[in-house]
Amino acid sequence: MSKFITIGERLSTTAPAVNKAFTARDPEPILMRAKQQLDAGATYLDVNIGPAENDGPELMKWAVELLQSNFDNVPLALDTSNVAAIEAGISVYNRSKGKPIVNSADAAGRIEYIDLAAANDAIVIALCNGEGIAKDNDERMMFMQTMMERGMEHGMDVENDMWFDPLFLVIKGMQDKQMQVLEFIKMISDMGMKSTGGLSNNSNGMPKHIRPIMDSAMVAMAMMQGLTSAIVNPNDLRLMETIKSCDIIKNNNLYADSYLEI
Amino acid sequence: MPFNQKPQKFNAKINSVTIGSGDKTVTFGGDSTFPFYTFDAPSENCAKVGVEISDMGLEGMSEGVKAYYDGASTIGEIAKKAAAMEGADFVALILEGGDPNGENKPIEDLIAVVKEVAEAVDCPLVVEGCKNVEKDAELLPKVAEALQGRNALILSEKEENYKAIGAAAGLAYNQIVGAESAVDINLAKQLNVVTTQLGVDAKKIVMNIGSAAAGYGYEYVVSTMDRIKGAALGQNDNMLQMPIITPVSAETWGVKEATASEADMPEWGPQDDRGIDMEVMTAAADLAAGSDAVILRHPESVKTISKMIKALA
Repeated sequence: MSKFITIGERLSTTAPAVNKAFTARDPEPILMRAKQQLDAGATYLDVNIGPAENDGPELMKWAVELLQSNFDNVPLALDTSNVAAIEAGISVYNRSKGKPIVNSADAAGRIEYIDLAAANDAIVIALCNGEGIAKDNDERMMFMQTMMERGMEHGMDVENDMWFDPLFLVIKGMQDKQMQVLEFIKMISDMGMKSTGGLSNNSNGMPKHIRPIMDSAMVAMAMMQGLTSAIVNPNDLRLMETIKSCDIIKNNNLYADSYLEI
Repeated sequence: MPFNQKPQKFNAKINSVTIGSGDKTVTFGGDSTFPFYTFDAPSENCAKVGVEISDMGLEGMSEGVKAYYDGASTIGEIAKKAAAMEGADFVALILEGGDPNGENKPIEDLIAVVKEVAEAVDCPLVVEGCKNVEKDAELLPKVAEALQGRNALILSEKEENYKAIGAAAGLAYNQIVGAESAVDINLAKQLNVVTTQLGVDAKKIVMNIGSAAAGYGYEYVVSTMDRIKGAALGQNDNMLQMPIITPVSAETWGVKEATASEADMPEWGPQDDRGIDMEVMTAAADLAAGSDAVILRHPESVKTISKMIKALA
């Protein structure tokens, strides 16, 4: 098995400093956060420019070129509800370190993102949701099947290029659903498919010092179930150490005493 | 149903590491398939064969080896004949006389030998230390210094002395660093990690993951090489993508099949033949398991293994 893939989440308009830098086209804060995440071991970087209704295509091009030219063609996940912006980003994207990821499609209003990924030979994150959160795993499976069929219709390599997102749920409020999500990851894995998701959803609303602990426990349990990737904060040292250790236990990476340093 | 061949494709390859300078170079590694799996993808660069010579001259060498070097009285002349051997890609000088538990030659004497060999031949060079970790930590940096500009492979740093040898060979004098572990896959990777942490370019490292003569715990060598190639290609582990060199002769010429005289063991046949058999069998198995280069001693072995590589490439 290959190593767990981490997608760094810290370039997002939800962070005011990043939002400001995107708007002002100020490279420094963007490059600094990108470097911090890559130094900490992120494989992909998520580039969340928000809806960017006015200047999405131009902004995404700017961000893709800025990041890839500064960081040896780092592979990127293009994260926006603006379809034209994703297409514009892919048009300038260098694939030498990995295909672009389209973040994200679902089984309802955003199903066309699968078509977009297929047309551009990209990976797509396929959120197993319809309108609103799936009520149980039967419904998640139905959404997953719908998206797989869509991918196949458009000629996608569904086993490699569709990464299914079970949707991690917040523990404070949906504690009784956590095992369901983990069981669904096992179903994705048993079908031979890849998976990812916004891991830190689970610890939303918890005190700051608790979140790394909860996220680490969650990623370990999810990796046991077969999760192949996650969208994470790579600067959470405890989390990254847990992921690297799980990769060793799963035999995804050969052990060496310095495994935490590489 | 017709047979449809499905090639095993990896998005990873073994690093190509070139030793030697000018127009006399040789490249180890470079393939993205398991050894000799040319049905999966053509081999970019077939395995290489080196000829071992020693600062101790022909002392202790078998009759056939002595016969080949007949007339060569200095280490420079021996080196010339080694380089001219049929099938030889490079010359490997072993400084075994430096061993404090043996001849314990002073470092200056050994460096003089290195210089004499370097002057006598312009082929790619590998220099092996005396195997004593403390002595090698002093000796090999001086070897690296003496061979500046030759882009030689220095064998080797170990866990105990990698800082001195890795820094001298890989950083100060721009040679290729040999990283030696003893049939321990985790240590093989660890040594590569810490060597690159010194600042040595990962593409200037060649591994010696340890060896044994066939029949002497040899299955551990095979499983270690197999696992290294599996991780390097299958898991794209860039801390295991260094090519592997295996000094075969030092192991095979020391076992009883090679050392027992015909007088003692008449039913085993001529001693020289047995030594060649051990060397050829072990080298062939090393290459099939993952070695990108082997170091041999007997001209018959060098010729045979080189022929085998070309026939399978």
